[in-house]
Amino acid sequence: HGRVKVKTTAQQEEEKRKEREKKLKVYVAARDRKDGVFDDEALQLTQQLLSANPDFATLWNYRREILTHLEDEDEAQKIYEAELSFLESCLKVNPKSYGSWHHRGWVSARLPRPDWARELRLCDRCLSLDDRNHCWDYRRMVVKMSSVPVKQELEFTDRLIGSNFSNYSSWHYRSTLLPLLHPGSPEPPPSRCDGDPPHSCSPPSPQTHFHRVCEEQLLKYELVQNAFFTDPNDQSAWFYYRWLLGREREEMISCAYVSREQERVAVAFSRPVNAQSGSLLLVLDGQPQRVEWRSVHPHFKHSPVWICDLPPGTISDIANEHNLTVHWTEKHTHRDCALYTRSESWCRDTATDLELFSELSVEKTSVLQSELQSVNQLQELEPLNKCLLTIILLMRALDPLGYEKETLAHFQTLKQEVDSMRSAYYSDLCSKFMIENTILKMEYAEVRVFSISDRQNLTTLCHLDQLLLVTHINLSSNQLRRLPPQFAMLQCLEVVEADNNSIENLEGVYHLPKLEEVSLKNNISTLADLQPLASCPKLRRLDLRGNPVTQTANVESELAELLPSVADLLL
Amino acid sequence: MAEEENQFEEFEQIDFLKDRHVRFFQRTLQVLPERYASLETTRLSILFFALSGLDVLDALEVVDSKVMIEWIYSQQVLPTQDKSNLNRGGFRGSAHIGIPYSTKGPGVLHPYDSGHVAMTYTGLCSLLILGDDLSRVNKEAVLAGLKVLQIEDGSFYAVPEGSENDIRFIYCAASICYMLDDWSGMDTQKAIEYIRGSLSYDNAFGQGAGRESHGGWTYCAIASLCLMGRLDEALSPRELNRIRRWCIMRQQSGFHGRPNKPVDTCYSFWVGATLELLDVFQFTHFEKNRSFILSTQDRLVGGFAKWPDSHPDPLHAYLGLCGLSLIGEPDLRKVHPALNITQRAFQHLQQLQQTWRDNAGSCVGRQ
Repeated sequence: HGRVKVKTTAQQEEEKRKEREKKLKVYVAARDRKDGVFDDEALQLTQQLLSANPDFATLWNYRREILTHLEDEDEAQKIYEAELSFLESCLKVNPKSYGSWHHRGWVSARLPRPDWARELRLCDRCLSLDDRNHCWDYRRMVVKMSSVPVKQELEFTDRLIGSNFSNYSSWHYRSTLLPLLHPGSPEPPPSRCDGDPPHSCSPPSPQTHFHRVCEEQLLKYELVQNAFFTDPNDQSAWFYYRWLLGREREEMISCAYVSREQERVAVAFSRPVNAQSGSLLLVLDGQPQRVEWRSVHPHFKHSPVWICDLPPGTISDIANEHNLTVHWTEKHTHRDCALYTRSESWCRDTATDLELFSELSVEKTSVLQSELQSVNQLQELEPLNKCLLTIILLMRALDPLGYEKETLAHFQTLKQEVDSMRSAYYSDLCSKFMIENTILKMEYAEVRVFSISDRQNLTTLCHLDQLLLVTHINLSSNQLRRLPPQFAMLQCLEVVEADNNSIENLEGVYHLPKLEEVSLKNNISTLADLQPLASCPKLRRLDLRGNPVTQTANVESELAELLPSVADLLL
Repeated sequence: MAEEENQFEEFEQIDFLKDRHVRFFQRTLQVLPERYASLETTRLSILFFALSGLDVLDALEVVDSKVMIEWIYSQQVLPTQDKSNLNRGGFRGSAHIGIPYSTKGPGVLHPYDSGHVAMTYTGLCSLLILGDDLSRVNKEAVLAGLKVLQIEDGSFYAVPEGSENDIRFIYCAASICYMLDDWSGMDTQKAIEYIRGSLSYDNAFGQGAGRESHGGWTYCAIASLCLMGRLDEALSPRELNRIRRWCIMRQQSGFHGRPNKPVDTCYSFWVGATLELLDVFQFTHFEKNRSFILSTQDRLVGGFAKWPDSHPDPLHAYLGLCGLSLIGEPDLRKVHPALNITQRAFQHLQQLQQTWRDNAGSCVGRQ
């Protein structure tokens, strides 16, 4: 694998090797432990073979078996040290051999009087020759076994990074060390619904743990900033930087919606779940309800939105009030929804509340502001710079709507000049951010209308789990090719406008209970594509002008048969 | 390090020399050069590269399937009369330990004979590619041999006596269970925990917890989760988006495996297939990827190398072809991104699995 082999007397070596293998087979079959001389010869033989092939795992195991039986401590120390020298010579020839490193780890851990300082020096030497590989794992073990202080290792990474900012492995090692300096447990997040007890936390993953950071850590940003100004196109520091500023979203029920006249409950989660596993419990006025949860579309075993029907008569008495609670037992969290004397009720956290879309932590707003300033300075010095993506992320964390114009402009620059190779990805990402902004605008306006049409160049739909309450959606004049199965999460939808796209797939228009009007002018739908519409019982108006389907023979009678409820058909 | 633009190579129409690659793999199957001697213990995996490579090239007719199938089965660790060696089951890399040649039981007990998880994986794949029906695979032994390899933290050893343990062998285990349609050979929940624990701060996967993100291990993680059918359960949408971003950023012309490393042909598959499994491969730049892979093509000997102007080897030859297949190179068969065999071989597997299910069902309700 990329190795340069020196040709020696190849054939002679090969013959010798075959001879040794034959001999070893005999010993392996005999396997007699009592004779010490026998062991020596076995060690000799395996040593010669392993020098030629350090990946012969069975032979390392054989040696370990022999070494395990040494009883005298002094003899063991001598032989184990000889083993370490042997391993050094193996590693010189092949520093990437898993077998050798694994064996060295085993030997070091068992040495009666280990010399960890020497092992660290070996690591330093190996890392200076090849600073990206196996040695890091071994170093981690040595550090752990010999209790090297974390501060000392941090200084080590400072030196490595100082001499070479591109050393991604050093940044990585640093990321594992910093949390060790600041262990402290995370505080539970503040309560979201009035009067609710705080949500409990599930144990944090290694990444999230670090985000409860104290002020000292901000000093680290200086090191990172130095790295940017030296070589702004180096990816190492940018990934590390975004990690320092980043955050993870907590798991919760983001919305519970109840339609009293349909006697149906829809629940939206912060991530796709499988509610059929019994982790979701519905309680009405203190009584657990026997219900069957289903995902919005048969395609999804895991879905962010789940629906169930309540037993008939339970909540259709609109003159009375009720209390409904949905418990997500797996995550020890729940959401209450008071049912007033209205046909529908809901309880949710808004996207604005949660700073839902921000990938970076907004806790340190002043820090982010100054970071944005620095990065903008850098961008002025070097306009064609990949830090544009980081600038975009910082802007979205600080003020997504306020920076919308700049964000779009930066995406254009990225796509056309800085990183045109990934322009398709950036288009996709930009679509996502524009949808996020539209959701925010919708919530600030406190309306249930989602409109993103004209000049927006939407290529893809996402965050549909945030649109559970939307009644009207306008996606006209974009570049959409389908309304995917996830679209079925829009359970409150009454009107869909999706003219002037390239839609040929309507899988997501599936059992939408309140859908009345659909406008699909100038798309590329055919009769087969319209099949899912038949699942929507209240559909009464359908505009299909400018679609190939209008050219089909007997189209009116076909559609009358497929969609009997549609009284108002425009072709 | 600034990305280098090799302008004159950018859209050059480089020829794809299909015949050379067929001959390269044919030679691989006949004799390997002396420098490959150290790979003797993993010989079966090299066979897999050659066979699957020929399959992608739609050139399996040059292979004597019968002979190959027999050789593969001779690497199976067969249960002894008293079945005392079941937990050493699986396939060997080759006959280097010295077990006498045998393709049917009962087996011979030998203190150092055991399967190797990566050889079991490539062995099963190779049999499928050759059209075998796996009827001579002793599933009981293979799964028993697999089960003992999994340790407390959810990862796997390669062999029962112990070895290093990491995410590569989880991938092998998941593939084995998937192919045999039997997940009793592993604790998937524990494996998922290990995989999640390997997610690094920059949103890709290392070989294990605390280790550096890497394109190859990210492939192992994502492919394993897909084979288990647990991708959306194990990773949140935000995590998945960040993983997509990290992977997309690996393209420089071809792909590299880690930031600030040179591009290497094999990552066109490891990272490319990961992006395909995550549904965003269409956002990569196909032309640049193709140009790089073909720049590592050996025009004389056939095959591909990791870098331009280096010696080709079976691994890079095979993965280079898979990388080209992902971007839709004409004349190449499509590859199943999670299982790493052609879609044709995968369909053969699906038919076999249907037959197994039908047979299991037909015991009940026979008229």
